[in-house]
Amino acid sequence: MGDGEKKKGGFFHAVKEFVYGVAAHDSARFALKSRANMEHLFILITMGDMLGVPILPPYYSLRLLPYVVPQISTWKRRMLREKDLTDALA
Amino acid sequence: MNSIFVLVLGFIVAFVGYRFYAKHIDSKVLKADSKRMTPAKMYMDGVEFMPTSKNILFGYQFKSIAGAAPIIGPIIAIQWGWLPALLWILGGSLFIGWVQDYSSAMIAMRNDGASFGGLSHRLISPRARVILLSFIYFYLLLIAGAFGNVVVSTAITLKAAPMAWLFLTLGGILAGHMIYRWKKDIVLTTAITVIIALVGIWLGTVAPSDKILGTDLSNSRVLWTIAAFVFCYFAAVLPIWRFALPINYVASYIVFLGLFFGIIGVFILHPNFTLPAYTNFSIKIGPIWPIMFVTIACGAISGWHSIVSSSGTARQLENELDARPVGAGVMFVEMMLAVFALIIAGTIYASPAEYGVAIVKGPGGIFAGGVSKFLGALGLPANLGRSYGSVMMVVLAVTIMQLVIRFMRVATSELLSDVSPIFRNAHVGTFIASILGILLVLTGWWQYLWVLFGGANQLMASLALMLMTAWLMSEGKPVAWVFWPMIFMFITTIAALLFTSYNLLQKVLSGAVKGQDLIGNTLMGLVGLFLVAAAFVLGWEGIKAFNRYRTIKNQASVAAKA
Repeated sequence: MGDGEKKKGGFFHAVKEFVYGVAAHDSARFALKSRANMEHLFILITMGDMLGVPILPPYYSLRLLPYVVPQISTWKRRMLREKDLTDALA
Repeated sequence: MNSIFVLVLGFIVAFVGYRFYAKHIDSKVLKADSKRMTPAKMYMDGVEFMPTSKNILFGYQFKSIAGAAPIIGPIIAIQWGWLPALLWILGGSLFIGWVQDYSSAMIAMRNDGASFGGLSHRLISPRARVILLSFIYFYLLLIAGAFGNVVVSTAITLKAAPMAWLFLTLGGILAGHMIYRWKKDIVLTTAITVIIALVGIWLGTVAPSDKILGTDLSNSRVLWTIAAFVFCYFAAVLPIWRFALPINYVASYIVFLGLFFGIIGVFILHPNFTLPAYTNFSIKIGPIWPIMFVTIACGAISGWHSIVSSSGTARQLENELDARPVGAGVMFVEMMLAVFALIIAGTIYASPAEYGVAIVKGPGGIFAGGVSKFLGALGLPANLGRSYGSVMMVVLAVTIMQLVIRFMRVATSELLSDVSPIFRNAHVGTFIASILGILLVLTGWWQYLWVLFGGANQLMASLALMLMTAWLMSEGKPVAWVFWPMIFMFITTIAALLFTSYNLLQKVLSGAVKGQDLIGNTLMGLVGLFLVAAAFVLGWEGIKAFNRYRTIKNQASVAAKA
């Protein structure tokens, strides 16, 4: 967001964002996390060989590949990133 | 002493801390740079790593850290007098609280958004990570027990609370269904569900629990304990959008409106403190040092904040310069919340004897009484104000409890799934967490339970400061501003936990307690000792890590001279 855009909102825009942050940001994050987890599981099942999971990609995986390509880098990063209990806490 | 003077003093401390101390550390020591890429930008995945406006993060951080603890701590700690409690709230926030919140966000941000487990593995030792995660499990258990006690004592003391709690739950479930299933407009959903919750608050005054259930059932600790944990059970096993999150969503409006108008009420009434500024060094709970310093946790410093800052906020900061307003700024707002709670406890009773009678029943009644008085200044009838205050207290406690039981379910699976596959089952993990929580609530004396929770919380804070010290040493930056707070917190919390565990287990071994008190004292005493043992191991690992970094630094300076 540029400086001009920030100034345009002003005080009320900041209050609106604050209220969103208090009330709904967490819900939005959890919804995104749920969707991402489902997507990642799907990609793992169909394209798991990219991470070294020993599955032979079926014909349908190859058909799906062009649609998955844009997500591969973030998917790999999320799947391989070290996680622990504190990730679930916040 | 007039409460307005105390509020103004709080604002001055917040201003000085934020404007001068935090700014100095941010610009001169850690050298926050708006041009440096943050993990949110570098690893943006649209889910966890997501550049987010600092105003949104300010609200998110505030909502995540401001639960019941900054309110209950000062209400209990005023037993030593309001002056020591006030000094610890202001001094703790100024020298330790914001330091921990801000530095936890910065360390995670400068280490690719790594969580505390990963950081302790990298900066201290592999063993530190295992101990830290086990420690967190018992820390969560104490949160469930302490907050469960608050819910139960509030439901018994304030008969309007159960009805309001029920309607809030119904409103929350409806909100989830309207948003995620029926795809209704968010403003309409909010208006309908918040009105349902408000109707429940009014109904609570018309149909209190003793009228519906009778005196015996409405005063039953077993009934309300089971009700609280059944509520948490649903929150833990149902999809999070179905129960936990929408209830939190509706609750946030109830709490926020109450706090906002309550603080306006303080300005209108500006009452004088009626309780003494100082009572005794040692009271029934224990001596002022170390016990008061763990009784007031979240209003001065809290380990919970470090988890939110590192695993949540740090991955969303779009600019390094935003870490100060979000990390430090929100801590000072929470400090003002604790000051508000202290004003409530210190001004609403005519004498210490009246307060003494009220505190035995639990902090919920005191808080509800204060909310009623200050909302009354704006024209709200007293009984409606008390009902509003009671639901605020229940909501502040139960919304944290439900998430904690959910996380304990995950933790059980993480820690024990290798032992037996049965621990992967969501119901088994939730059941274990609930049973342990119920045991604590039904058998433990709530003030000791609160002290143990505070001790675990503060110990978590000192571990966060230890990580920060190790990281600063590894980077060759000045460490005194985190090292001395860490030493103070470490010694204080170990002393508090040892004192409390000794008192509890001494009663068990001497045969002074029997029946359910025996179970409660034994369980709480052993949990306290486990936390101390874990802290000693982590402390030892920390010392070894510090020596390692010091040796590297000395070798580098010798090499540079050569």
